[in-house]
Amino acid sequence: MEEFKITFLPENKSVHIDRGTDLLTAALKTSIHIYNSCGGEGVCGRCKVIVKKGDYITEGSGRITEIEREKGYVLACRTTPESDMEILVPEESMLGDLEILTEEIKAKRLAGLYTPVEEIEEERHKATAKIFKHGPLSTKIFLKLPNPTIDDNSGDADRLLGEIKKRHKEINIIQMGLSNIKKLPRLLRESGWEVTATIGNRNKTTEVVLIESGDRSKKNFGVAVDIGTTTIVAYLVDLDSQKVLGSKASYNPQVDFGEDVISRIIFAQHEKGLEKLHHAVIDTVNTLIDSLIKEVKLTLDDVTAVICAGNTTMTHLLLKIDPAYIRKEPYIPAVNFMPVIRAAEAGVKINPRGLLACLPCIGSYVGGDIVAGVLASGMDKIKDLSLFIDLGTNGEVVLGNKEWLMSCSTSAGPCFEGGGLKSGIRAMKGAIQNISIKNNLIKCQTIGDLPPKGICGSGIVDIISELLKNKIIDRSGKIKNNKIYNIRDSEGAKEIVLVEAKDSAINKDITIDENDIKNLIHSKGAIYTGIEVLLKEAGLKKSDIKHIFIAGGLGTALNIRSAINIGLLPDLPEENFVFLGNTSVAGAKTCLLSSEAMEAAETIANKMTYLDLSTSASFMNNYSAALFLPHTDIEMFPSVKKILNTV
Amino acid sequence: MERLIEKWQDKISEVTIGAKKPIKIGGETGIYFIDGEDKCPNPPRVAMEVWDMDPEAWPEALRSSFGKALNDPVEWAKLCADKFSADLICLRLASTHPDTKNTSREEAGKVVENILKVISVPLIVIGSSAPEKDNDVMAYCANVAKGENCLFGIATQNNYKTLAAACLSSGHSIISEAPIDINIAKQLNILICDMQFQADRIVIHHATGALGYGLEYTYSIMERTRLAGLSGDKMLSMPMINFVGQEAWRTKEAKTGQKDTGVLWETATATAYLNSGADIIVMNHPKAVEEIKKTVHRLKA
Repeated sequence: MEEFKITFLPENKSVHIDRGTDLLTAALKTSIHIYNSCGGEGVCGRCKVIVKKGDYITEGSGRITEIEREKGYVLACRTTPESDMEILVPEESMLGDLEILTEEIKAKRLAGLYTPVEEIEEERHKATAKIFKHGPLSTKIFLKLPNPTIDDNSGDADRLLGEIKKRHKEINIIQMGLSNIKKLPRLLRESGWEVTATIGNRNKTTEVVLIESGDRSKKNFGVAVDIGTTTIVAYLVDLDSQKVLGSKASYNPQVDFGEDVISRIIFAQHEKGLEKLHHAVIDTVNTLIDSLIKEVKLTLDDVTAVICAGNTTMTHLLLKIDPAYIRKEPYIPAVNFMPVIRAAEAGVKINPRGLLACLPCIGSYVGGDIVAGVLASGMDKIKDLSLFIDLGTNGEVVLGNKEWLMSCSTSAGPCFEGGGLKSGIRAMKGAIQNISIKNNLIKCQTIGDLPPKGICGSGIVDIISELLKNKIIDRSGKIKNNKIYNIRDSEGAKEIVLVEAKDSAINKDITIDENDIKNLIHSKGAIYTGIEVLLKEAGLKKSDIKHIFIAGGLGTALNIRSAINIGLLPDLPEENFVFLGNTSVAGAKTCLLSSEAMEAAETIANKMTYLDLSTSASFMNNYSAALFLPHTDIEMFPSVKKILNTV
Repeated sequence: MERLIEKWQDKISEVTIGAKKPIKIGGETGIYFIDGEDKCPNPPRVAMEVWDMDPEAWPEALRSSFGKALNDPVEWAKLCADKFSADLICLRLASTHPDTKNTSREEAGKVVENILKVISVPLIVIGSSAPEKDNDVMAYCANVAKGENCLFGIATQNNYKTLAAACLSSGHSIISEAPIDINIAKQLNILICDMQFQADRIVIHHATGALGYGLEYTYSIMERTRLAGLSGDKMLSMPMINFVGQEAWRTKEAKTGQKDTGVLWETATATAYLNSGADIIVMNHPKAVEEIKKTVHRLKA
């Protein structure tokens, strides 16, 4: 078959591909990550590239404007080469650095995305951690074994186990694998009967995981990982001192195969799809762990436990389990309560005998990240009614207290992560995260105070609220005619220019149009309806809720007032809202440090009922009522009614 | 056993239409025709439809009642008001549609003006369902009819601003229409009221379905609207209108059936809507109009 050389600029990376292979696939081969949210289906229009040289065949797409077409823009996923080509990947199509964010400046990029380690240490999570008794997934104990004599003649392994039991009376059953026993006679004698045993908590039994010579009891480390649909975050934790030694984040490279879980489940059905998805996540987790331990000069052998929290699909893909049946009626996952396994079995590189645990999932569409979130929030411990909202692509909502928990998944869409918006980007450096309109002037504030690149989730919430307050849009989200702001027509919808090309980092106007606003209204409507339906099912009122915990990607920078103004969050006193940042990794860390917490997580997963909104009779009616700003029934938002002076 | 009589906390707003002989619609504090609950100060009214061009597609069974008047909207309106005792006239400016005659707004304005001269009953004016042209024509006609306190239509979620502004400045009431969706109906009323439009100048239309062609859907949405209005939802407590004639005479049965089928279809559809809470029923056939007026009378007694 004919081969063509494709060169990607500005990175100047080349690859040879067969005729018929599209440019998006070619880019993937050179590890250039082009933004796309549909997995190469030609739907999202995000993978725009500019053809500099060469012949090609491209499918027409409404996603490319006439002006762009003239400049040579094509959709990478819909274009195949007919000769060697040179392709320029414009800034807005670049997915951004996938390398690990080691430098301080790069770490800042995620400042708006995730709560810094110190804050988590100081705030609620520390309190949560204290509730649970210290008892990590794996513990190291230093043992000085009595030397055997003719009279004290028990076997080496029996001697070791006996000593452990003497020290830990609570352990009833303890087991040890053959490979450890084989190593034992020599190891014990060479170390002068002074060894360190790593005991792991494995599925309610205790196992001798590892035996090392000498005292290594202070050298025990674990990693807590949040496997998000969009971002993967890892904390390195000293299992002895309980301190977080470092945190690192990276995009989930599975984004290349589709932005939401459903498109990834579909991708997993392709040839080698599951393998590709699995490798993408495993490689990232391994790279994160590797760079975390290098920073504090540890070795892989020092890491004996990893805990992962992710939604059900992410957990399946991590373990390379086919997620196919998650999206087929009656929506059954392969596993909710995943037993503790050896990390090596899943491809996670730590100590070869180290353990891997996953936070239990509730069902196909509410996973371990939410269990971790509930655990980190502590809502399952208090008498008061609490609400937990994860503002992510899946938009999970949990209602309950120490007696009961109820959850639903609202499929809010990628809006809060900047997806599906014309100028939307993830919460990265240069993303507009807050906006205010004063004296007819639009003022944007970006992450890192840099020239703006686009708008992230919290920015979009702010913008809609400000536009509504200043009566620039009506309550259905339509832009009203006015002469003060830069309003123009764009492909049949009106749009407002927020930042002009000359002031932006991408040399293009940053705008918001009526379709963007409509997308956000659908997302916020879904979350609010989820809350409403849960309350209705529980027979409770909004005013019964005492605490609202908000987790997820835009948590730290989200303006609560704006979120209430647009009807995303219920109209309750602002002091009732608590930001928790990334609760998935916080909950995973808690479980890593305490088997009691892991048991609590299992209790949460067992206790939580899942409400399928698609079977709820009132959902559609409530949802269409929520597709208004802030809501069709303004009486539900008395404080907003006052601000807007509307009916 | 003593009958439980529902007590409602709120009432439906009262809309006044017309200048010479104004009529009031709405104002209910209960459900129509339910004995003991039907506190309805203003009985439902029947409007008759008049076109500004010959409605060629109308079946002969319907056309024959009007004869030559079909070619002259002024004569037609007079006939309906004087001979057939229509409570209101509903003028449909069908000729302004770009696909029919594309007549100008000035010509349409002239028709409105001339009809207003010869009738004393209130006038409803609706466009040709071509959104852009309607905006132009209706704004002009609203100004022509300034002071006549007409009912103008039809405002939709995607096209309400121009019409609402025109009605506001010329002192007319407005028909707000939603596609059988109670939430959108309410949202549209909010949007119109946010333009400083008075709530008691709005009449709701929930898209009319003829008997066998979706009547039940509209019926239950209208019931829900009325119950919400009576329960205190100000943005749903408006009187309601149905365009029964156009829907009934579009059915296959009316077009191809026996001579009386159309009349019966229109009568049956209109009777159902009366029970669902309609305040104005726009009708076509004089015989059906007569029957419905009798029904209103009987039901009231």
